Amino acid sequence: MDTFLIHLLNSLLYASVLFLIAGGLSLIYGVMRIVNLAHGNLYAVGAYTTAWAVGRVLGGAPTLVLYALLPVGAVAAAALGAVLEPTLLRPLYKRAEEYQLLITFGLLLVLEDRIRVVWGPYPLAASALFEGPGSFAIGESIYPTYNLAVITVGGLAAAGLWAFVYKTKFGVILRATSQNMRMASALGVNVNRVYVQAFTLGCFMAGLGGAIIVPQQGAVLGMGVDALILAFVVVVIGGLGSLEGALLGALMVGVVREFGIAFFPEIELAVLYFMAAVVLLIRPAGLFGRT
Amino acid sequence: MLEIQQINTFRGPAHILRGVSLTVGDAEAVCLVGRNGAGKTTTIDSIMGLLPVRSGAIAFKGRDITRLPAHERARLGIGYSPEDSGIFPDLTVAENFQISQLMGASRGRGASTSGAEMDERILAVFPEVKEFTGRRGLNLSGGQKKMVAIARAMTLSPSILLLDEPFEGLAPVVVNRFIDAVKKIKGMGISLLIAESNLNTATRIADRLYAIDRGEIIFQGDPKSALQNEEVMKTIRG
Repeated sequence: MDTFLIHLLNSLLYASVLFLIAGGLSLIYGVMRIVNLAHGNLYAVGAYTTAWAVGRVLGGAPTLVLYALLPVGAVAAAALGAVLEPTLLRPLYKRAEEYQLLITFGLLLVLEDRIRVVWGPYPLAASALFEGPGSFAIGESIYPTYNLAVITVGGLAAAGLWAFVYKTKFGVILRATSQNMRMASALGVNVNRVYVQAFTLGCFMAGLGGAIIVPQQGAVLGMGVDALILAFVVVVIGGLGSLEGALLGALMVGVVREFGIAFFPEIELAVLYFMAAVVLLIRPAGLFGRT
Repeated sequence: MLEIQQINTFRGPAHILRGVSLTVGDAEAVCLVGRNGAGKTTTIDSIMGLLPVRSGAIAFKGRDITRLPAHERARLGIGYSPEDSGIFPDLTVAENFQISQLMGASRGRGASTSGAEMDERILAVFPEVKEFTGRRGLNLSGGQKKMVAIARAMTLSPSILLLDEPFEGLAPVVVNRFIDAVKKIKGMGISLLIAESNLNTATRIADRLYAIDRGEIIFQGDPKSALQNEEVMKTIRG
């Protein structure tokens, strides 16, 4: 029972981070119809920035100050997004999708290289934050308290994003723009502004995912591409453009991956892709996607 | 109110509008009639800023708006109801109405800009709308969508409404209902430019009428003259 509970918590931990990445990816696609291949590297930027701020800049500061630095990575990714959308993506909206895929793939490579240049080839850690809150007992095992914080942030992010999209005035504008951009503009909506806000919010979520997981996992080169692939599995299952789909997909991938690693590690990734393939066969637009 | 001079508009490589000029006066109802593919929707889209014009000029209340983006034209008081209604399917009717108000697009044009007054204006034209404000756009009938689209354009407190085929697909009795609504809107001092393919319907509401064919204006005048003009009758009715 204890082992099961630990696996369940690990699943939720993994799902929380995956939701933040895939939710941002899905939000951007839902509003702007852009598949951002560089999205995983914005998650990596969030992780690196937080690790850098915590470890290199304020390493000697009190622990509480270090926790306050966690959102720095999210803000950095959001700021990067706010610059990238109007400069790199906006000129391509009227072009075919291939151009958008090419430019975001190019951006993925550029960001990967920039990370290497700025932070070097070695992993960065912010483990002081992971170790700070200690552990608690689950039966005869112990479990890191920090992981619960990550799960809480993931849950709050999901609830907050839902409320933001469905319960706020900006949410109405966001949904209107995603459903009919031309009509929204004919009703006075500045679509360019909505696009940059949606892209920035999506990048913020990815950056937040990186920022909250870096104390547990560290920041390493290639983490963005790994995250992107799993985020795609999530949105394929849930449906690209759907936040509910991203949440359900993240939970499914989190559970299958965690229990896969525990019980059938040789084929853990294969099971994930098999699950995505089955969903594609039965519902090509994903569980919550629109056909 | 609205003055279009010699506009040329392309859709991709296709040259659709060829030197189209027209005017709409204060509180005037003008119909643009023509067959499918004649250039009516392209004219409306060009005025709304949804399609860029290659050359020519569009002026609204004396101000050149030729290069202004659509959202700024809407904020100036140009309301638009597209042929397909353009209702946001996942938004409720109430949310569809909220958009212009949330963007502040309905502010600053006379006294009739408060939410309550605006609701009154909408309800005066289409009281039926009150019954389905909580329904999602997806669940509306074709006629209800057309109704909501016009009412939604009214939330901008517009000085002019651009209605693209507002009566298309409606039963004759419903068309009469919509014609009454259009007359009420005109009675509020709002100008109208209506793209319409049915000449008889157009003559029932228009103060003036333009006929368009293959992207060119081939007639302008009052409805009576249009009905007596053989070329117009032949072109519109085939």
